[in-house]
Amino acid sequence: MSVQILSAGRSSLLEAREVSASYGHVQALKPTSLHIAEGELVTILGPNGAGKSTLLRALTRLTACRGRLFFRGTEISGLPTHQLARRGIVMVQEGRGLFAQMSVRENLMVGAFLHAAETDRQMAAVFELFPRLRERIDQTAGSLSGGEQQMLAIGRALMAKPQLLMLDEPSLGLAPRAASEILSTLGELNRRGLGILLVEQKAPLALKLAQRVYVLSLGKIVAELKPDEIESHHDLARYYLH
Amino acid sequence: MPSTIEILQSLVNGVGVGLIYGLVGIGFCVIYNASGIVNFAQGVFVMLGGMFCQVLMSQLGLPIILAIAITVPLVALAGMAMELAIVRPMLHRGATLFAIILATLAAQIMIERITLLGFGDRPRTFPDFTPGGPLRVGEVAVGYQLFWILGCGALLVVALWLFFNRTRTGRALRACSQNREAAQLLGIPVARMMLVAFALSAGLGAIAGVLVTPTQYTAYNVGTPFGVSGFIAAIIGGFGRAGGALAGGLLLGVLQALAIVALGAGFKNVAALSVLLVVLMLFPNGLFAGFSLGARVHSK
Repeated sequence: MSVQILSAGRSSLLEAREVSASYGHVQALKPTSLHIAEGELVTILGPNGAGKSTLLRALTRLTACRGRLFFRGTEISGLPTHQLARRGIVMVQEGRGLFAQMSVRENLMVGAFLHAAETDRQMAAVFELFPRLRERIDQTAGSLSGGEQQMLAIGRALMAKPQLLMLDEPSLGLAPRAASEILSTLGELNRRGLGILLVEQKAPLALKLAQRVYVLSLGKIVAELKPDEIESHHDLARYYLH
Repeated sequence: MPSTIEILQSLVNGVGVGLIYGLVGIGFCVIYNASGIVNFAQGVFVMLGGMFCQVLMSQLGLPIILAIAITVPLVALAGMAMELAIVRPMLHRGATLFAIILATLAAQIMIERITLLGFGDRPRTFPDFTPGGPLRVGEVAVGYQLFWILGCGALLVVALWLFFNRTRTGRALRACSQNREAAQLLGIPVARMMLVAFALSAGLGAIAGVLVTPTQYTAYNVGTPFGVSGFIAAIIGGFGRAGGALAGGLLLGVLQALAIVALGAGFKNVAALSVLLVVLMLFPNGLFAGFSLGARVHSK
């Protein structure tokens, strides 16, 4: 079922070659290769337990993994997570990973850890994208609504000036309207040129944004295709679109 | 039955030593917040602070201000060495936190024995920072050193608050305490933050040691009681809460002093451990849960 579609004409942003990860004796991610081009929005679909989160954790080195990673053609396989952020690879974790007892302002300031001199400018840009965060600036992150927390998680990641933003189920636990808002903001960020790798359960919404889709099953990529091609794969369409 | 004067005097003494416990307790919190590790060698930093300062003054003839200026960074370096030589390698090898905590206890004993071999078992002290005294308030005597302890303690609390809330590194340390993975994802070098935490914690211990030595003495084995009392202070305050540890230290110091006056010196530790037991049973999260100086633990 594997359909090879290259993001022709665009230079590579991230390339993973034969990346695999295990938890103890359980191989959660079998050797997997994927790539994301500059300015591309790629979605990873797959059922629960397919290894989607493990894949993102492996790509950001939160989980030890085998295989090779390249960012803009340079090998980054041995770099720890914080060095990847320095290169511009930033992830919003599942569950948002906010610093719950710190205020919105402090969360954003920590987001700008690597770019402290640009904190004010970056914060203004984040508030332009998520005006509600400005209204909540002195509230603790833990006291925000689910949608606001996700805005803060994305805003905080943007403070780190990512070149590639990975998001693990950003719409999880959100009301449909909030989920739709979040995903449309991601679409806007992508239109501005930000590369995005999105793991998302709400497939119809995510597929509207994506330029390419990887389907993950039982720890390995079983398909790579364009969103509009999913209709022609009856099993995928039944699972993800209806 | 102790007289009012005796009670007031013990309160004054208790506040002084309690503040020292509080500083040691904050040291525990700083490392725990950054790493999830309870550093049982915390008391040894207090001992090294007093010991180095005394040696620099008595053997090299340095003035106290210079001796302190050398001692605190030196002990901070010892803290960093502990992180680099013991904690970090164990973490890299996947050691459990229990194993690391046990290793810090071993380090405490090792450092104590090295100090014994290097400096002997003779108790040492040096004069109050300000000669003279004590100041008489009615019939209560207040040593000048207590004012130094109170003043420096207050300054340290303010400085720590500013550090944790107003500096990039301080905020990063707090971020590490709440979600280490998220902190890494934003480019914060968590390992380096642990090094900062050990240096800060050891430096605090050293300052506590320098402040308290003129009121008592220092010897190779004083670290353990200070460590235990600082640990109790941190637990009373809700482990990980710097402000709580300080308040817990003050409470513990005052209760210990009252127990000595009311029941005799032998009951000092009975009082301390009774307080701990009551707090653990009635307030498992500490008496001051909710009161924070800036750091709270969510180790991940």
